[in-house]
Amino acid sequence: MEMIIYSIIALKTGPGQLNTVLNGMKGVSGNGLYAVTFNEIAAVVSDIGNIDFITDKSVAIEYAGVIEALYQQFTLIPMRFGSIMGSTCPIIRMLERNYSEIQKNLQKVDNKFEFGLKVICNSETLKTELQSITAKDTSTVTITSSETKNSIYRDYVNKKLQEHRLEDLLLGYVDSVITDITRNLDRLNAINKFKRMLTASIMVDSVFLLDKWRKDDLIEAVGDIQDHYPRLKFVMTGPWPPYNFVEITIK
Amino acid sequence: MDYNVIDQSKEITILELLDRVLNKGVILTGDIVISVADIDLVYLGVKLMLSSVETMEQLKAGKATGVDRLIS
Amino acid sequence: MTIIMSENKILFSTGSLDGLSNEISKVSKDEESRLKLTPDNAGSGLAKLVLTLIELIRKLIEKQAMRRVDGGLLSEEEIERLGETLMKLEMKMEELKKHFNLTDRDLNINLGPLGELM
Repeated sequence: MEMIIYSIIALKTGPGQLNTVLNGMKGVSGNGLYAVTFNEIAAVVSDIGNIDFITDKSVAIEYAGVIEALYQQFTLIPMRFGSIMGSTCPIIRMLERNYSEIQKNLQKVDNKFEFGLKVICNSETLKTELQSITAKDTSTVTITSSETKNSIYRDYVNKKLQEHRLEDLLLGYVDSVITDITRNLDRLNAINKFKRMLTASIMVDSVFLLDKWRKDDLIEAVGDIQDHYPRLKFVMTGPWPPYNFVEITIK
Repeated sequence: MDYNVIDQSKEITILELLDRVLNKGVILTGDIVISVADIDLVYLGVKLMLSSVETMEQLKAGKATGVDRLIS
Repeated sequence: MTIIMSENKILFSTGSLDGLSNEISKVSKDEESRLKLTPDNAGSGLAKLVLTLIELIRKLIEKQAMRRVDGGLLSEEEIERLGETLMKLEMKMEELKKHFNLTDRDLNINLGPLGELM
């Protein structure tokens, strides 16, 4: 009978509290949740009968709901959807093998929340604006004196060069926004991760890990930053379990 | 139909949630053989693993052909 | 089973949320961005994969070439030759796309870690 693992919990005061909580909850498909413990950590699992149903996204959402409920009360590292093992013995062995890595990550996320911030822009408008305010000549490379004939190849290069320079300008701007965000969040002692230009509209995709009690400070800080950029859209989500900050692969 | 802010918020929340639970979080390593039309083609080290939903689809297809499972 | 999570995790947003879910969907590893090979589409599926990779390489080459031109150390003749080659590469790509009846959107396969090169 396979088991799906939702997350690995830090047992600070023994397994009693966890078991009580799990008794009052259900896992995917209405199956019961239980803890597989090893020393001071426990994997929260439920049996899964038929592996077929697991390809449904609604099951993934249910799964995430369990993690959500748990992280309100415990320090945990969330597993990716689809973390399945055969039975309790391999799970215990897995916990033992990876004990120190798991502990390290549990400590890292202890009492912290994850938040996401996406900054949305209109790339085309932005490029046009950047082009007009920048001093650098983004039109053409100066043609040296010897070449006077019209060359379609030369024109092609010029066109591509302009596109390339505009793109560099855009990326430079994105970097400056990221620097601004980083600076404003400096006092919050957060771990930040950024992705640039995820799509033509999603200029910045970032996640932050910081102390739970700093949530309001974070909202205020982001509110301050967005005042600098009235034409950019800031969308902040959270709090989330620390999905983006658990960089271990379990053996 | 009034597609309002609440619906939009819910939709975005679900997308963000799915992105996290399907693509982030801790991964169990294992080794996977990917088959196409029931022919085993690619042996994939799990660091290159695709989303978990896909992995489960492979498991589903592979259960009959003895595909290695996602367990350590 | 009650899903104990708030349905709305948006803390705040400036401006409207219009179109945002569309944007986010574009990058999720979902149905459209995945390459599915079946007996029926094997030929065109393979073409899609190959052309996507070629396009990726072409864009990288173009980017690098522009950096060289911008550097200012190339001769006129070198720039001309570069332009000619790049132009022909792009034209060839258009030809291939037309031949396999693929649009830019079709070539938007999620390349995973490779995609981050772009």
